[in-house]
Amino acid sequence: MSTTRGKVESRNDIFVESTATKIWQEIESQHNPYLADSCLCHGYDLLELTQKRSFIEVLYLLFRGELPDVDEARLLEQLMISQINPGPRHPATRAAMNAGVGGTDREHILPIALSIYGGSHLGAGEVEPAMNFLRKQRKHDPVQLAHELIANSMQPAEGDWHIAPGFGSRFGGVDPLPSQIANHLSGLPGKHETLLWGCAFADTLNEQSLGWLAPAIAAAVFTDLGFSPRAGAGLFQLLGAPGLLAHGVELANKSVTAMPFVKDENYVIKYE
Amino acid sequence: MSSSMSSCSYKLWDKHRGTIQSKKGGWVVGKGIFNHGYSMMDDLVGKVSYMQVVTLNATGRLPERAVADWFDAIHICLSWPDPRIWCNQIGALGGATRASVVASTTAGVLAADAKPYGIKPLIQGVQFIQAALLDYKQGLGVDEIIHNECAKHRGKPHIMGYARPLAKGDERVVAMERVQQTLGLPIGEHLQLAGKIEQSLLNSFDEGMNINGYMSAFLSDLDYTDDEVYRIFAVLVTSGVTACYVDTRDRTPDTFLPLRCTDIEYTGKLARPVP
Repeated sequence: MSTTRGKVESRNDIFVESTATKIWQEIESQHNPYLADSCLCHGYDLLELTQKRSFIEVLYLLFRGELPDVDEARLLEQLMISQINPGPRHPATRAAMNAGVGGTDREHILPIALSIYGGSHLGAGEVEPAMNFLRKQRKHDPVQLAHELIANSMQPAEGDWHIAPGFGSRFGGVDPLPSQIANHLSGLPGKHETLLWGCAFADTLNEQSLGWLAPAIAAAVFTDLGFSPRAGAGLFQLLGAPGLLAHGVELANKSVTAMPFVKDENYVIKYE
Repeated sequence: MSSSMSSCSYKLWDKHRGTIQSKKGGWVVGKGIFNHGYSMMDDLVGKVSYMQVVTLNATGRLPERAVADWFDAIHICLSWPDPRIWCNQIGALGGATRASVVASTTAGVLAADAKPYGIKPLIQGVQFIQAALLDYKQGLGVDEIIHNECAKHRGKPHIMGYARPLAKGDERVVAMERVQQTLGLPIGEHLQLAGKIEQSLLNSFDEGMNINGYMSAFLSDLDYTDDEVYRIFAVLVTSGVTACYVDTRDRTPDTFLPLRCTDIEYTGKLARPVP
């Protein structure tokens, strides 16, 4: 029997009866099944974790299911410090500042900034592609690959050139700070195969004024720590959140005149 | 490591520094507010519909009133107040926690920026029917077009715009065809091909065209690109999300689908001491 457009029949898809998680267990109170007496994260009691482990270690535990060793925790912590603030010129920070100075309700400042920080240009949207790129390419010679990409890619007529996800130019040149951060992190104790591969790849790209960009550094560390590419974007947003919020809050009690308003003579309307 | 520091390397950014160059319009104090060459107060307000201006802002082109009325109607078809729908449930959860209506509605809209449902399937739907028409004009038969598309999904009829999830059949297509007819909007070559594809799918798989397929073909007949469709309909689900927010916002907090601890199934590691 054929289906007609107007006649709607359920497919009777089978949905689970309850949501499952391997991450978190809440032990119900004897007196009220909606209240939890204790919580376990991957089997570890939350209160015991607060007493014995650092925030970084528990963050790692959440995503990986096991506690990190000393080298892994150090690497993650130093990455987090290096990415704690995208800086006051990053569009996401400026979004936070606009929200702050515009008098936006305080609880919206961070979500606004994080939405913009999700972009695929120097934002969280570039991290998962960078992780996939690194996971796929790290078995190849980085120098040869860099030369091949340079030879076979077309530089855009205008603006920066991202020759691979997370690698490219910044304002027309090599951004020095990401390179310094990557070199530092790759020198820490522990296994950093992806970071080291990225350093060799970026060094070769430098010949064309291309190099590391912040999303790829995070992507390389996340890969070396075994995080899933699916988590990459959100983790990157988490790393930059403190700086984004701080800049937004800094302006949140100021008048709207505390940020520039482009003058009429500098606002040019030019229809195509 | 070398760093290019020649002034020509950042000339582009110096050119834009401190200025905004708009292709869209703006407020010229004392002269008026302009939008794509129109004076908003003189040419648009009270003379065109809101959806006409939404489309103007999204595409740079002011559609005729009938087309914008069709856009208005499709928004009604694609957002309804059922909190079981994923984006709507986010609105409902916002109400339950007393988040603001703006935060909850925009969160729900953001949730619909998804590939399986919401806005992004429209991109794929438009891409499919536009590519299919090109193939059809080059001599490929409808059955071959379907076969090639199904081959990408191990022979299953997974063609964007056909075989609606959760249910068979789509009453919204019937409603929008009625709207289209009432507004006097013609059936173009994309929509004609979409109908042929549907007929073939009905014969082979007992699966018909869904609202995405109809919408993608109709919009393609109006020469909209996939990017333009994504932009015009960016907040497609907004009204249903707001409705679901209001429902829970006006109830006692935490009474929307409350969960006991045991309502979440824990499948992880057993309790262990922290080393």
